[in-house]
Amino acid sequence: MNAFQRIAIIVGYEWRRAIAKKKFLVLLILALALQVGLFALFYYFFTNPPPGFTVIGPSLEEVKAMMWLVGVLGPQGLFIPLIAIVVAGGSMSEEYEHGTADILLSKPITKIEYMTGKFLGGLSLLGFVIALTTTLGATLAYGLFGPQEYIQFVPVIYLVLVYSNILFFSMAFMFSEVFRRTTLSILAAVGILVASLFIGGILSMMYSMTQEQLYLEVSKWLPNWSVSNLPSFVASELITAPESPFVSVQGGNIQLAAAIIAVYTMASILIAALKLVKSDVTKRTS
Amino acid sequence: MNALTSQPVITVSSLTKYYGDFKALDSVSFAVGKGWVYGYLGPNGAGKTTTIRTMLGLLKPDQGEIQITSINPAKDPVQALQSLGYAPELPTLQTFFTGEQLLDFTGKMFGLATQAKKEKIKQLLDLVGLEEWGDKKIGKYSKGMVQRLSLALALVNDPVVLIMDEPTIGMDPEATAHFRNLFTTLSKQGKTIFISSHLLDEVQRICTHVGMINRGRMVFDGPITQVLETFTQQWVIEAELKKVTKPMISALKRLDYVQDVKSEENKLRIELKEKKDLRGEISSEIFKHNGVLLSLNLHQITLEDAFLRALKGGQ
Repeated sequence: MNAFQRIAIIVGYEWRRAIAKKKFLVLLILALALQVGLFALFYYFFTNPPPGFTVIGPSLEEVKAMMWLVGVLGPQGLFIPLIAIVVAGGSMSEEYEHGTADILLSKPITKIEYMTGKFLGGLSLLGFVIALTTTLGATLAYGLFGPQEYIQFVPVIYLVLVYSNILFFSMAFMFSEVFRRTTLSILAAVGILVASLFIGGILSMMYSMTQEQLYLEVSKWLPNWSVSNLPSFVASELITAPESPFVSVQGGNIQLAAAIIAVYTMASILIAALKLVKSDVTKRTS
Repeated sequence: MNALTSQPVITVSSLTKYYGDFKALDSVSFAVGKGWVYGYLGPNGAGKTTTIRTMLGLLKPDQGEIQITSINPAKDPVQALQSLGYAPELPTLQTFFTGEQLLDFTGKMFGLATQAKKEKIKQLLDLVGLEEWGDKKIGKYSKGMVQRLSLALALVNDPVVLIMDEPTIGMDPEATAHFRNLFTTLSKQGKTIFISSHLLDEVQRICTHVGMINRGRMVFDGPITQVLETFTQQWVIEAELKKVTKPMISALKRLDYVQDVKSEENKLRIELKEKKDLRGEISSEIFKHNGVLLSLNLHQITLEDAFLRALKGGQ
């Protein structure tokens, strides 16, 4: 058996482990339910507009034709990063907490193969979740609002969404290995996500008030900036229609956003690998 | 087999391990030959589990080296652990699997072919008495059942070396006896078995060799017959009679091979100078003095006695 086969076995194991977790299933169902709820609201609003309601800029029909973007990018705001954190935050630590790391690592597999399998297993599961929300979003948009424009870009946007979410996924994965406590690693990653949103908001406000470019530049290096914006940047590149209502993101720098995600991800993976290789496998902690 | 006659299957050389400032293992060395059942004994906290986890590459030694089938598991875990089965102490298994699924997963990790794996799973579930429980989630198993499944998992790859940390802890007496027989059978098949245990009676029954560790230091390593010999100070014959008389005691004391005789009511404790079964000679002497024997036992040292003496010496 070669290294790829051993990694593939751990990938399959990781899927089973994550799917067995209730909090993962609850978050997934919640994300899908919210998506359906959001579309139901939009549908009601568009079919029963309040008296005197008018859309500024594009026409209502143009908005309806681009609703797939709402469905695809909508869950990216909070739910997908949260699911990424929940999947990765327990990936390594739960094995230490339950004492199953001993069982797995006393089998013919290297620590790096084990970690790679765990990482890819969680990431592919996250990819599946994003595929579900993306498909549901696009289907709901088509079903409720009729034919969609530029929908051929859904696969590209999907891949960008997966790439964007690697950042919080790998950060939570790193905490999972470094702390070896699931609650602590999830809290740390969620803390960074929330702090990043909060600080980003303040910096954006400061920029609006002072027009000082530095605030904007600093905010770009917060982890949340690239994760939230890269899909929109790519969408605005692909969808060239000037009347497009959802992709008018200003100052979009795809290369910078992609590079920031890569830097955070590589650093997280490196720290996790060093910790795993250099330290003992801890005994059961719960 | 009383000594290494071939290349050892397990070699532990000058193994030292610290937990912070605490020295958990202090230059521990031993070797285990093919087909041996090696009992690794020590009180709680002596370093038994630390030794085992270091042998498996789960802990990094601060000094020393380990070789399993001539391969260092820390350097090449894939090769070293391929022929090894491990059953941890009080295992916690993945509760989201059924017993069959976990055996299947473990078989995959060892690269077992699908058909061979199916047959092996059935055979192993039968062997550990879980044939009715294979399709049930492990979360529903009792502690004893988890322990049995853990032993089945250790046998999935038909290992050359079987390492077990307190394998029968938490099992009922019937299961303990069953597994004792199983270990003996496996040993006869040529497998090398390394058992960490504090159940001395069990170790004495099944082990061919013994290593004793106390406070991180090896205090004995050798064949089980040698451990008893080494720590036996003297042999004692205990006799129970209908009546003990003073002339009888004096006559026994005069015998060349008797060190001392102590009496208490109708019982005699005859301490011998030689490590020899002299019950025939003692009973003849008692009969000469019209003694009526109710019982006559040669009290040999048990592994527990030897263990306690070894620990005392080691301290």
